[in-house]
Amino acid sequence: MSQLEKKAGLLRRTSSSKKPLKEKVVLMYDEIFAKEDPAKNNPRFWDELFLMKVNLEYLESKLESVDGEEVQRIQDNINSLFHHCVQALGEEHQIKVVNALQTLCALFRGVHQKNKSTSGFDIINMLMGFDKAEQRMKDLMERLDSLLCGDGSESLKSLCLKLLLCLVTVTDNISQNTILEYVMINSIFEAILQILSDVSSRGQHGYDAVVLLALLVNYRKYESVNPYIVKLSIVDDEPTLDGMGMVVHQALTEYNRQYKDKEEEHQGGFFSTLTSMVGSMFIADADEKLSVQTNEAILLALYEAVHLNRNFITVLAQSHPEMDIPTTPTTPTPTTPTTPLGTTPPSLDMMNNPELPLDPNLQTSNLLITFLKYASIVMQDTKDEHRLNSARLCLIILTCIAEDQYADAFLHDDNMNFRVNLHRMVSFWLLEDTLHRKKAVDKNIPSRPLVCAVLDLMVEFIVTHMMKDFPMDLYLRCVQIIHKLLCYQKKCRIRLHYTWRELWSGKDPSLSLSQKPFLGDYDTFQMKFQETTLNLFNMFITYGDTFLPTSNSYDELYYEIVRMHQVFDNLYCMVLRVSTNTGQWKEAASKVTHALINVRAIVNHFNPKIESYAAVNHISQLSEEQVLEVVRSNYDTLTLKLQDGLDQFERYSEQPKEAAFFKELVRSISLNVRKNVSLNTLSQDILLKEFSTIS
Amino acid sequence: KACQEVLLQVQLQNREVAGPQWDAGSIREEEEEDGEEEEEEKRGSVREISESTSSSAAASKQSWLLRLFESKLFDVSMAIAYLYKSKEPGVQAYIGNRLFSFPDSEVDFYLPQLLNMYVHMDTEVGDAISPYLIYRCRGGIAFSLLTAWLLGAYSSDMHISTQRHSRGAKLRKLILSDELKPSSPPPDAHSRACMASVSADIDVFVSPSRRTHQRSKSDATTASSGPGAGLRRTGSNPKVEAVHEEPDRLRPQRELVKSLLGIGKRLATLPTKEQKTQRLISELSLLNHKLPARVWLPTAEHQHHVCRVPHTQAVVLNSKDKAPYIIYVEVLECESFETSPVPVRIPETRIRSARSAENLDCGVSHRAGSFSTVPNYDNDDEAWATDDIGQLQVEVETQTSSSDNISQFSVDSITSLESKEPVFIAAGDIRRRLSENLAHTPTSFRRDPEDPSAVALKEPWEEKVRRIREGSPYGHLPNWRLLSVIVKCGDDLRQELLAYQVLRQLQSIWQQERVPLWIKPYKILVMSSDSGMIEPVLNAVSLHQVRKQSQLSLLDYFLQEHGSFTTEEFLTAQRNFVQSCAGYSLICYLLHNGNILLDSEGHIIHIDFGFILSSSPRNLGFETSAFKLTSEFVDVMGGLNGDMFIYYKMLMLQGLIAARKHMEKVLQIVEIMQQGSHLPCFHGSSTIRGLKERFHMSLTEEQLQLLVEQLVDGSMRSITTKLYDSFQYVTNGIM
Repeated sequence: MSQLEKKAGLLRRTSSSKKPLKEKVVLMYDEIFAKEDPAKNNPRFWDELFLMKVNLEYLESKLESVDGEEVQRIQDNINSLFHHCVQALGEEHQIKVVNALQTLCALFRGVHQKNKSTSGFDIINMLMGFDKAEQRMKDLMERLDSLLCGDGSESLKSLCLKLLLCLVTVTDNISQNTILEYVMINSIFEAILQILSDVSSRGQHGYDAVVLLALLVNYRKYESVNPYIVKLSIVDDEPTLDGMGMVVHQALTEYNRQYKDKEEEHQGGFFSTLTSMVGSMFIADADEKLSVQTNEAILLALYEAVHLNRNFITVLAQSHPEMDIPTTPTTPTPTTPTTPLGTTPPSLDMMNNPELPLDPNLQTSNLLITFLKYASIVMQDTKDEHRLNSARLCLIILTCIAEDQYADAFLHDDNMNFRVNLHRMVSFWLLEDTLHRKKAVDKNIPSRPLVCAVLDLMVEFIVTHMMKDFPMDLYLRCVQIIHKLLCYQKKCRIRLHYTWRELWSGKDPSLSLSQKPFLGDYDTFQMKFQETTLNLFNMFITYGDTFLPTSNSYDELYYEIVRMHQVFDNLYCMVLRVSTNTGQWKEAASKVTHALINVRAIVNHFNPKIESYAAVNHISQLSEEQVLEVVRSNYDTLTLKLQDGLDQFERYSEQPKEAAFFKELVRSISLNVRKNVSLNTLSQDILLKEFSTIS
Repeated sequence: KACQEVLLQVQLQNREVAGPQWDAGSIREEEEEDGEEEEEEKRGSVREISESTSSSAAASKQSWLLRLFESKLFDVSMAIAYLYKSKEPGVQAYIGNRLFSFPDSEVDFYLPQLLNMYVHMDTEVGDAISPYLIYRCRGGIAFSLLTAWLLGAYSSDMHISTQRHSRGAKLRKLILSDELKPSSPPPDAHSRACMASVSADIDVFVSPSRRTHQRSKSDATTASSGPGAGLRRTGSNPKVEAVHEEPDRLRPQRELVKSLLGIGKRLATLPTKEQKTQRLISELSLLNHKLPARVWLPTAEHQHHVCRVPHTQAVVLNSKDKAPYIIYVEVLECESFETSPVPVRIPETRIRSARSAENLDCGVSHRAGSFSTVPNYDNDDEAWATDDIGQLQVEVETQTSSSDNISQFSVDSITSLESKEPVFIAAGDIRRRLSENLAHTPTSFRRDPEDPSAVALKEPWEEKVRRIREGSPYGHLPNWRLLSVIVKCGDDLRQELLAYQVLRQLQSIWQQERVPLWIKPYKILVMSSDSGMIEPVLNAVSLHQVRKQSQLSLLDYFLQEHGSFTTEEFLTAQRNFVQSCAGYSLICYLLHNGNILLDSEGHIIHIDFGFILSSSPRNLGFETSAFKLTSEFVDVMGGLNGDMFIYYKMLMLQGLIAARKHMEKVLQIVEIMQQGSHLPCFHGSSTIRGLKERFHMSLTEEQLQLLVEQLVDGSMRSITTKLYDSFQYVTNGIM
């Protein structure tokens, strides 16, 4: 109470000291916050109010300072203000519409800041009056809908979207935002789609529209029937879906471009000091500089589209010219990458041009490629929470993609070859080597089916990551994605020309896939990871004949297993110990033991053969070719056990496993969007100028 | 004189005929263009006369010429010949009218000749042909477009100033303005009523056989809006053809051609084949958004609508600085592409659901107007919740069980689930199966980024069709077909068209004379003087690709592909090879050219008639052999003393004798096209004479036999064949 008084007092002091300079609008606000009906003495009060430039700060702080008892007193006036705002949205005078939109923004925000702890009911009651709320919100949504779909000014549409974003993000937890119940009833889904289907409006408002949609889909996702989920899942209009894809594509491209720019910026100094200074400190420093704010909102939109709408899968493969070119100086570049909402995305010409531009230097790209590049950047470093979330979401999206038959078909399409420049992790112990490799690789990446890029990304992540508390669930997801792709290849008998060897063994033995299980303590993810990894090996061992590209590759598989026998031996000892103890891991451990049968059979079968071959021929160190020869000539005496359900996998489902993750993710996105919207709505001077000159 | 008699008769009857039979519309347009109204009317009535003349045959049996014209022997070929040679306006007019009585398809063969005469010969000839052309243009979009394209191409050699005002250019403009709508002649009162009264949809329902404005309008809307029921507000869609008040009948097809040619032009600017292929695929995927539509492939035999371009299958062909490419096109056959309803769009991802809802879809393709009730798959919950891989597995399983004879694949884990007994397998078996499976895959070519077409062309057509059908959302429809076409940009295909006509003519001559020479004329579509389309030869790859990919001699390649010497497959392939060699040896001797394909049955097929007649290398300073006969060829035929080689020479002799017998039919095709043409194959004045001489009309059959021996001998000994090979390689960039 005292605090409130103090705040009110402060406010009074400042306002009194500036009394002679007080804006008219502020005086009018004061009238609203008085007991009397402001229109009582001045019938034109509301008309006049919306002709005034809005003072958002004042209005919000005023609302904030209202205390419990006062609410009762001024509720009628605030209801009236809200009502007139909605009315003003229908005005021809665009200045009024702008002011009404901004006032509404301030109302929603002010009320929520004030009532952090109060219930949704109270908020609705204070804003609209509970009995009239339904009608008011219906009117509001209808007005917004017609503004968004009409031929009116683009700035107005932009402001409408900002208002909606502001409303949607006004609470930390979107599902606690009771007002959204009315947004569910009075859907603006169609308006969002229309924005996305039209080339020019997509260019200007596509980003906001997509983010808004992604957030709305997440409102009480698990508790109730969310009409946005239902509607999004059945959209099949290709231009619209393409439009959505384009917006995501462009946002991700923008991120990739910024990252690349930063990387190049630092590269000069990077190489010059390389010889004198090799150490983790230095790399950490470089990483710091290279970090560009990730964009989970757009990634969430991509996820929802891929997850909910099966038609969207085609959009992933829809080719576009690569938008990896620096924006031309005429288009305003976003001032800071941290506020993607702050500026409208640079309107690249190709967004507006249905024909592909004619530039021989332009590589053809598609959303999937851009997404893979983005993922490769994000997954390089998962230290901070945003990047970890981004990486996790990327892997979840890839999981959904790998489960879709149509996506699998185009991933494996032999005629759709692309060069995908993935960003590779610069691990410090491989630094010099990797950098050389990277330079060499960049130049002549072969053009291959897209699935190779997915596999590269997965293998790269598993093989090169070393973290003390590495997120085991990410590795598990990677292995599961590979497993799903393998299942597809086995079923469709696709012999992909991929160097599987990189998967079987890392470049450095200590980094190999099968090595991973030894890091960290035991937990569910760890066990699951080990089991899935071994199942991958079992797929290769027992079904290799259906999908391996060459006969030699089968021999190489055995060679690698034998070469890494130590790893499997150790693993066996460990799980044996766990499975014989009575503990919570007993069952999981015995599964791993079971999955090890074939690998161990191979090791036990070939090791003595190799040793005796070495002994007979008096060679201390066998060459690879010699080992392969031994392998080839000793298959016939080896019997393997066919494991159950190797080619079956658990399908992805968001609930219940991922629900907590998405709740947190949406919360963090909401906070970020709210921050950016507030920055922006306040600086609408340009907009106002535009209208004042028109009218 | 006989002609005068005809003329007289014509004029006589002309007066008797009361009025013009043409509906006012067509004449008005002509009038605006030329002010030749009277001429038009006369032609129009002349047509009537000729018909009436033929009915009252008694009066016209006065002269032998007229008798010839009336006789059953008088065919299109003769009509064209007289039209070209006769200077008599009456005869020309008579023939102009006789054209109406021939089947469309027969006249269509001579369309290039007709149009070239129309463009380049004197007004009388043009006037004689004009009514027929206009009548046919009214009859169909396909003919209209073909005529417009050819007119453009054949007018291109005129001087720019005269070209614009030329007859050809005017007619072309008239066609493209879409003024030549089907004259609404007294059709059944029923459909007339609908046209007049009611809206598009009803019209479609009631009379699907008659095309109207409303009809095409409703097409445009259906083609664009698609099944997006929840998206009614999607108003301004850039990719969709705008709906005009007065929709253009020719427009969808012209747009298609325009975008295909545009792609070719853009591809040509890209440096590498890989970039070209990538760009091609992405451009085509954009094209797919507009399909299905009322568009068709003019090279196809049957009426159809194009429903989808499986864009990832398209490849860029080998060429030095141009970018010809081959596309595969999925079509749905229909009764008439002009009047049958355009098929409903099925989204790409609907492969499975479409299959399960097969019954639903068949209805769509048959019932007229049913496109308004789009089956909405989205209503079932399965649409996005189904177990993709699970279903897939079932599909694959059933498929392999039926088609797979090897059946030695790994035991599926499902079986092991059923029996709880552990299943053991020998590692050696897996390894063996792997090598066996790899060995059993048919000899496919390696993927070569520098030669992307090799793999695509080597894949057996049947297999390609099956594969694409499986992956297509339209594949389950019974009227689904796969077609393919080569799009050429920056190449003048007029010579190719000429060669095609000559080949077709010779083919039919040989068929008529029962000489088993084998040649494969492939269809050519000239769209302008520097663009067009070619019907690809199926199941054939170039000899160069064979050599490069297999690293075998031709004979060894035959043995590899068809089996050893004594197998029936090999013998059939060998016979095919000999018969086609004989055919093309003669073609080469008569016309000249060079690039050779080999098909999966052993036939060779010559393609790229870029150097024929006067533009053959002979005129470029090469003293070449008559045709290409390398020792490899002779080896395949079983050596110089083999029966097959003797058979080869005998076939050539028979073929030459047969061709000689009908020389006029061949000469005529070439001769007419020489009019006004600047094509290199007509360079100089001796083109026709040279061609004529090569038929050796004066020689006895014994002398001809000697000639064939000499030609074969000379071709084998000649090293210039090799030289010519490299010459072609350099000039064409042909691989």
